[in-house]
Amino acid sequence: MSITTERVSTGTAPAVPARPRPKLNWNLILRIVLLMIAAVLTLGPVMWTLSTSLRSPSESFKLPPSFFPWNPDFTSYAQVFQQLDIVLLVLNSALVTGLIAVGQMITAAMAGYAFANLKFRGRGALFSIVLATMMVPVQVTIVPVFMLIRGMGLSDTLLALILPAIPTAFGTFLMRQYFLGLPADLAEAASIDGASPWRTFRSVYAPLAVPGMAIVGILAFNFHWNEFFRPLIMTISEQNFTLPLGLVSLQGNLGTGSISVVLAGVVLSMIPALVVFIFGQRALQDGLTAGSGK
Amino acid sequence: MSTTTPRREQAKQAKQAIKPAQPGAAHTPSGRHSQRWLAWIFLAPTVLGMGLFTLVPIVASVVLAFFRWDIISAPTFVGFDNFAEVVQDPTVRVSFLNTIVFVIVAVALQLGLALALAVMVQEKMPAWLRGFFRSAFFFPLILSAASVSIFMRYLFNEQFGVVNWFLSLAGIPAVPWLTTPGGSAAVVILVYVWQNFGFSFLLFIGGLASIPAETYEAASLDGATGWRKHVHVTLPLLSPTTLLASVMAIISALQVFDQPYVLTRGGPGDSTRTAVMVIFESAFQRLEFGQASAIGVLLTLIIMAITAAQFRLSKRFVFYQ
Amino acid sequence: MTGATTGRLREISRRTALGALGAGILGATVASWPRLSGSDIPGRGDNSLSIAIMGTAADAAARQRAIDAFTRLHPDIRVKVQAIQAVDWKDFFTKILTMVAAGTPPDVVYVATEGAQLFADKLAHPLDEYLRRDAADMAEFFDDVHPSLVEAFMYKGSLFQLPMDWNAANMYYNTTAFAQAGLERPADDWTHVDFRNSLAAMRKARPSDFTPYYWTNRLFGGVVPWLYANDTSFLKETRSTGGDWLWDSFYAQDPSRRLRSGGYQWLEPNADDPRVFESFDYLRGLVKDGLGVRPEEGGGSSLVGLFASNRIGTTPAGGYWVQGLHEAGMKENDYDVAFFPKWRTQRHQFGTAGYAIMKTAKDKDAAWEWIKFSASREAMELIFPNPVTTPARRSMVNEALYKGKGPAHWKVFYDTLDKYPTTGPIPAPPQQAAVETALMKNVSLAVSGDERQLKQALESMQRDLELALRRQS
Repeated sequence: MSITTERVSTGTAPAVPARPRPKLNWNLILRIVLLMIAAVLTLGPVMWTLSTSLRSPSESFKLPPSFFPWNPDFTSYAQVFQQLDIVLLVLNSALVTGLIAVGQMITAAMAGYAFANLKFRGRGALFSIVLATMMVPVQVTIVPVFMLIRGMGLSDTLLALILPAIPTAFGTFLMRQYFLGLPADLAEAASIDGASPWRTFRSVYAPLAVPGMAIVGILAFNFHWNEFFRPLIMTISEQNFTLPLGLVSLQGNLGTGSISVVLAGVVLSMIPALVVFIFGQRALQDGLTAGSGK
Repeated sequence: MSTTTPRREQAKQAKQAIKPAQPGAAHTPSGRHSQRWLAWIFLAPTVLGMGLFTLVPIVASVVLAFFRWDIISAPTFVGFDNFAEVVQDPTVRVSFLNTIVFVIVAVALQLGLALALAVMVQEKMPAWLRGFFRSAFFFPLILSAASVSIFMRYLFNEQFGVVNWFLSLAGIPAVPWLTTPGGSAAVVILVYVWQNFGFSFLLFIGGLASIPAETYEAASLDGATGWRKHVHVTLPLLSPTTLLASVMAIISALQVFDQPYVLTRGGPGDSTRTAVMVIFESAFQRLEFGQASAIGVLLTLIIMAITAAQFRLSKRFVFYQ
Repeated sequence: MTGATTGRLREISRRTALGALGAGILGATVASWPRLSGSDIPGRGDNSLSIAIMGTAADAAARQRAIDAFTRLHPDIRVKVQAIQAVDWKDFFTKILTMVAAGTPPDVVYVATEGAQLFADKLAHPLDEYLRRDAADMAEFFDDVHPSLVEAFMYKGSLFQLPMDWNAANMYYNTTAFAQAGLERPADDWTHVDFRNSLAAMRKARPSDFTPYYWTNRLFGGVVPWLYANDTSFLKETRSTGGDWLWDSFYAQDPSRRLRSGGYQWLEPNADDPRVFESFDYLRGLVKDGLGVRPEEGGGSSLVGLFASNRIGTTPAGGYWVQGLHEAGMKENDYDVAFFPKWRTQRHQFGTAGYAIMKTAKDKDAAWEWIKFSASREAMELIFPNPVTTPARRSMVNEALYKGKGPAHWKVFYDTLDKYPTTGPIPAPPQQAAVETALMKNVSLAVSGDERQLKQALESMQRDLELALRRQS
């Protein structure tokens, strides 16, 4: 039992040991300069989007651009709320993404465990098939899936987005790797107790699986929160739109949209993902770090 | 993986686990029996779900490729006509070529950038700075490709975009980013790489962290420093991560849709039209579901061939500890 | 032992927490079931008359007063307006086709010229029988609507839609930029040469940071107005016979009566016409000399902002733009509108839209009642209170609509039809999506290189159009 309390992440330890002399380190300075350039190029466009969204429409094309909106103008944000039911969009996105994430975490943990720790005939072949499905683009299967959804009477519903996304090849793969990485003596200890496979899973592996499941959940959240293609096809009513679709329609027809409004919408849509990012990035970094070694 | 066991130990155990030295109960007949039951119960949701939502649609898609069908009227069987038309269609050909070029350039950039940044970040530096860089490089991944493309389109505007404004400071004349074939292709690649390199970056960080420090110590005793250290130690030890990162990067790049759809709609000309865009256009804008399926089948075959080739190559170049 | 106890305790509290989490997720799922299954969307699955329009929920809500008025007239017909968001008409038609594919087509669809023939050919039910039956009631409508708009909805001798609103590609210009360059308001019959000279004067007055002519690459207002002005098009335009039943009963006295036909037909590509080359070459010249931008495909989301911030001298647009410019802070004197320049002709391009009844509609009589009501002056005034488009009724394009917002010469909007009766619709055969793609993808290349590149682009356009027209849909 005590094992469960001993989990400590190791993923962030620097691989290269410190040099003995803490003198002016040109290598370090050069690296920091290069990394800073990369960070500016990475974050710059986002900052600039933020600052443009805070300018009034007639100022949105001012050059040179002022990166700091000294007199922030929130009319664009008010416009977004006027044009879009952003609360409903967020609710839809949250429902779709949340249920997919939870569904993937559970099914992937179960399937991953079966592939990693349980013995049954055809395991290798089945696992290969699961992996192979990752290679089929969603555009290839979308038409039959669409007809399937129609047959189930779920056309133009959120369920049409959720159900097909729950079985996950990548999540199953990650969880299998994760379970394989757990020390084998865990199971041995359990089997000496004479525990059944189910009890071994429930009392030994399931509690340990939580960090791995968190990675699957966060990745699923990230992917489906931002998903564009399936909602584009599967939803018709505005009431069933998810955030990315709503944003694109902010662009307006025949040039009647305003760029600051579009960008304000983009900024608003970032907020929920940013929250998940802030709370989840530690787990994700540690998890992916651990998962990629093999 | 997240126990306190040293990494090398884990690796060994993982190796064993692949050729399963299984949970003890396995060698009693009843244990094996109950394991099998449990396995199938555990697999049921995934296997049934994938069967229904992936395998059945794949089969249906292959069947559909032999029909002409516009949803409004009944499908008619046309044999290999769809394949014949698709193979001759210049737009389809160009889009496949575009996709392949895109994959090569975007994946090379993505992996190269991610690896270089990961190596630089993982070497000695203050922890807060390392944390900042990691978060920064990962950040674009949390945005939606659609919204990224919306604001990038604005940034890359020829007359009013901030990119050209910065270039003009350096005396470079305005680049027609989104209105020339070369410019559009460059923008689609840049925007895609900008958004996705963070994922490979994280994988590399993980791979680097799992290289034991002693390996480097041994290497520096042998006199390897700087570049040579990375070439002789880092790269070989990182090769399993590189395989994983490249397989994932290639699979996702082969399916690129959102960026060209929002940035350029595939133009100008067909210069940024990708294979999956052509599938979308023929299915949902022209209602040629048979042809769309035929293109999809061809694309899937190509993806499978590429992935198979990668794994075959990996047998020669990937070094397992 | 104590360690094991705390471990167990922790395990128990952890289990409770997980259980609570699970119950919470389950509860949330159950509670949001109506949202997940879409059953909370009003009117879903009932037998009310469903009307699909392009727009947002706000646009649907704006029609509520019209729906209420309709319900007072026809208490037995329940109406539900479904707003469908799309970035352009092509995108909107994709959505309607998806609804057809999903087995849930609407009964009535608001279709623009871009999709008129796609719907007429495959999806829509003609209005002929209803117009014959209610001819007496409809005379007043046709009196107030220009026949060019009606003809755009004729297909093989049958009428499929009544025009509700429309827009021509006129030329908007920034009055300040014109004044700075020492330019007067353009004459009604200014030519493409005058236009070019005006652009050059503006370029001289403001060398940087400014675009004399801004245009986007799309079917409406892109290259097509320049082709029409030069008396050509990228598709060969022919007319089908028939339709006299309509023209004779409603437009017998109209001066342009003899021009009217059974509808436009676009059966052959025409990108190899020397005049097409000439028009493209003119635009290429504007781009080369820095007078006009290389056009971006689609988009246009920056157009209002650019124009409102005085960064653009001229751009083609119609009456739909007035409200947007007003909201972006442009004053009524900051800009004005003129006719599109003349070349061999001064034929303009327009687009129009109206309701089509779907073949699959359950109650076509009810659908017709909705269309008939929407064409009434009362309904149109409820639906178009602001200049976000140009109403099809001439009498509604008046001082009141543009007061305090609009350009001084708002009369240009409807005069375009009255002064130039050959003014034609956006060329859009039933294969519209493929045709539009074939055109748009070659435009940027055609106007942004040398003459050889232009020739190549037009050749490839001709080939692409041929392929597109050969398709069935």
